[in-house]
Amino acid sequence: MRETVAALLARVDAAVAARRRLRRRPVGETIAALERAAARWRADTALAAALPVAAALSGPAIVCAMNVAAEAIDAATMTDLVEREWGPGAARRPVPDGPALVAHVLASNVPALALPAVALGCLAGAAMLVKSGRHDDLSAPAFARALAAEDPDLAATVVPAYWAGGDVAREDAVLGRADVVVATGSDSTLAALVPRLGARLVAHGPRSSIAVVDDAADADALALDVALHDQRGCLSPHVVHVVGAARRFAARLAAALDVLAARMPLGAASVGERATIRLHAADAEWAPRAAVLAGPGGTVIYDEERPGHPGPGRRTIHVHPVDGPSVAWADVAGGTIECVGVSGIDVQPFVDALRDLGVARVCPVGRMQRPPLSWPRGQLPPLGVLLGRRTAREIQIGT
Amino acid sequence: MRAEVTLEAELAAALEATRRDAPPPDFASCALRIFAHQFERNAPYRAFCTRRGISPAGVARWEDVPPVPTAAFRRVDLTCAEPEAVFRTSGTTDAGARGRHLVPHLALYRASALAAFERFVLPDRFRLACVCLLPSRPESSLVQMCAWVGEALAASVEWIVDAERVLDRLADAETRGDAMLLLGVTAAFVPVFEACRTRRRTFRLGPASRVVDTGGQKGLRRPLSRAAFLRECWTAFGIPGYYCVNEYGMTELCSQRYDSVLDDRFHGRSLAPRRLVAPPWLRTRVLDPDTLADVPAGSPGLLCHHDLANAGSVSVVLTEDVGRAVGENGIELLGRAPGAPPRGCGLLLADLEP
Repeated sequence: MRETVAALLARVDAAVAARRRLRRRPVGETIAALERAAARWRADTALAAALPVAAALSGPAIVCAMNVAAEAIDAATMTDLVEREWGPGAARRPVPDGPALVAHVLASNVPALALPAVALGCLAGAAMLVKSGRHDDLSAPAFARALAAEDPDLAATVVPAYWAGGDVAREDAVLGRADVVVATGSDSTLAALVPRLGARLVAHGPRSSIAVVDDAADADALALDVALHDQRGCLSPHVVHVVGAARRFAARLAAALDVLAARMPLGAASVGERATIRLHAADAEWAPRAAVLAGPGGTVIYDEERPGHPGPGRRTIHVHPVDGPSVAWADVAGGTIECVGVSGIDVQPFVDALRDLGVARVCPVGRMQRPPLSWPRGQLPPLGVLLGRRTAREIQIGT
Repeated sequence: MRAEVTLEAELAAALEATRRDAPPPDFASCALRIFAHQFERNAPYRAFCTRRGISPAGVARWEDVPPVPTAAFRRVDLTCAEPEAVFRTSGTTDAGARGRHLVPHLALYRASALAAFERFVLPDRFRLACVCLLPSRPESSLVQMCAWVGEALAASVEWIVDAERVLDRLADAETRGDAMLLLGVTAAFVPVFEACRTRRRTFRLGPASRVVDTGGQKGLRRPLSRAAFLRECWTAFGIPGYYCVNEYGMTELCSQRYDSVLDDRFHGRSLAPRRLVAPPWLRTRVLDPDTLADVPAGSPGLLCHHDLANAGSVSVVLTEDVGRAVGENGIELLGRAPGAPPRGCGLLLADLEP
């Protein structure tokens, strides 16, 4: 039965009260509990069995996504994060006073987004409402259960919830209580929240990623970046700019995607979604100076004309030859690229340009979909943004 | 006489003859013959087929003729000869991104369009006063078709876009008890319905009046379901739903599909489900987007049309439309593939807006 707004608010009130009871606790205990809970969550076989249907990803892709999500909740990174905000030794001290309630409105494109959301909220010392996306309303309750098994007091500060988007009355009642609302979604979803939440809203709109590589790059590694989450995440590359023999690299990438698909198949998709991919490739077949390499692992489109960005997804990637790295982002609109995967390219001379472009993360190919918890999503410090640091423009290089 | 004219003229004559109850051309053999013709004379299409290792010598079934996506019409000129007309798709302000269908033999398009229109819209062979709710757009294949309908199958034809003028014309027809054929894009009827409401005016047009609309939801400022459209036609014009025929066509095709409702009614199948049916020279396959193989009957897939009347360009067109097969020779349109660019004759009216 659908939970009433009053019942949900009662759970939120209880979480805020539970949070007050933890105020004297060293944050290191929270870090340890989170790491143990993530490991427990990763071993949740019932979740792994149910998520493929909910998230429309194949079973092996879900296992991979769960591993990636759980690995990111590691004690060393969490300790670094709290020390960055509150200085050396911060993990041995209680969390300074901060937001009482953080609400996370999660996107539905990628599963397991609840883990970093809960972890960061706990590190901030806040109670948390985690509103799941419609394609994964399982991960957040599962993580809350795992946390309860490891640290019931900390788990009491977490409120997993789900309601269909557009329930304005519920959103206003619940999100209105939060000191900070971190929302991820489409432009229209976020536009609906902006006037209602004002400065309390931290909005993450649609973004995607690119790779810039030389022609000797590891195609298997890039194929993994393309394939994880079936290219639905903001860290998914849609275009790879190749310095050197791009056409040959396109063939290698197509072969790598096919090999990968044998052990990590594509997830289910609607006729409409599959039609979009087919038509995208069909169009490219008629483009001048383009070639389509389609196989069971996805679609690689070698395209000498500058491709539009992003592509239709579902493991569709454009390979575009460039004379040098800077050409790759020369015409890219600011604020649209989240991550640049690199191989054989020295990005140091371009870091300022990438920061100005809004890029939040530069990393080796093969690591694009494995961000640490310290990933400054949207260039915002992941923990700091919950504490009010909204003006920073961070870029993470090399992890 | 050139060979391509011979083939196309022969086809035009055959389609024209169906209006006099002659049997249609044999689809399978014609399709293969046309493929050979197009392979020989349409260089971009030949290159496309060759890249796939396909040539007429290796194609034994019409289903194996390679389809061309509608997007290709935005990129290259697909024609077997010098065009007599160039039709452009509607739907974007970027003229370079519009599709172009080069038609080298207009008589074939005319023969196909009129034969199908008569069969599915005028099975009683009535000749009605026709009002086209369309702007004059020579590059529109729909406008061309309506012009032919007006010349050949109507008692008279007028072109009116302004809703108030349409109402004046309807009032005149009602007074005289005339039956009318109202023909236009779906979106063009909406301001007429609104004007009727504003003026608190409804009409009872003469018996056997009918509506032919096309374009569906495209160009509409707000959604209008099919049921609501049919209700409006009854309320505003007094035209019952079985005289309201939806047309499905596209710039890239010289043949069209029509709502089966009148054809069924005149052939004792009034209880059959409404579906979009085609003349015998247009076949539509419903394809799995991944494999381009036929989906099981009734399952949704991408619509791929094989139109013999397209002999002068490319006969097999893979659309951006998702649909499913309904009954024999019928399809139901379910929508557009997500992300496909807006297009279609419903947007003809948008072209008029400032």
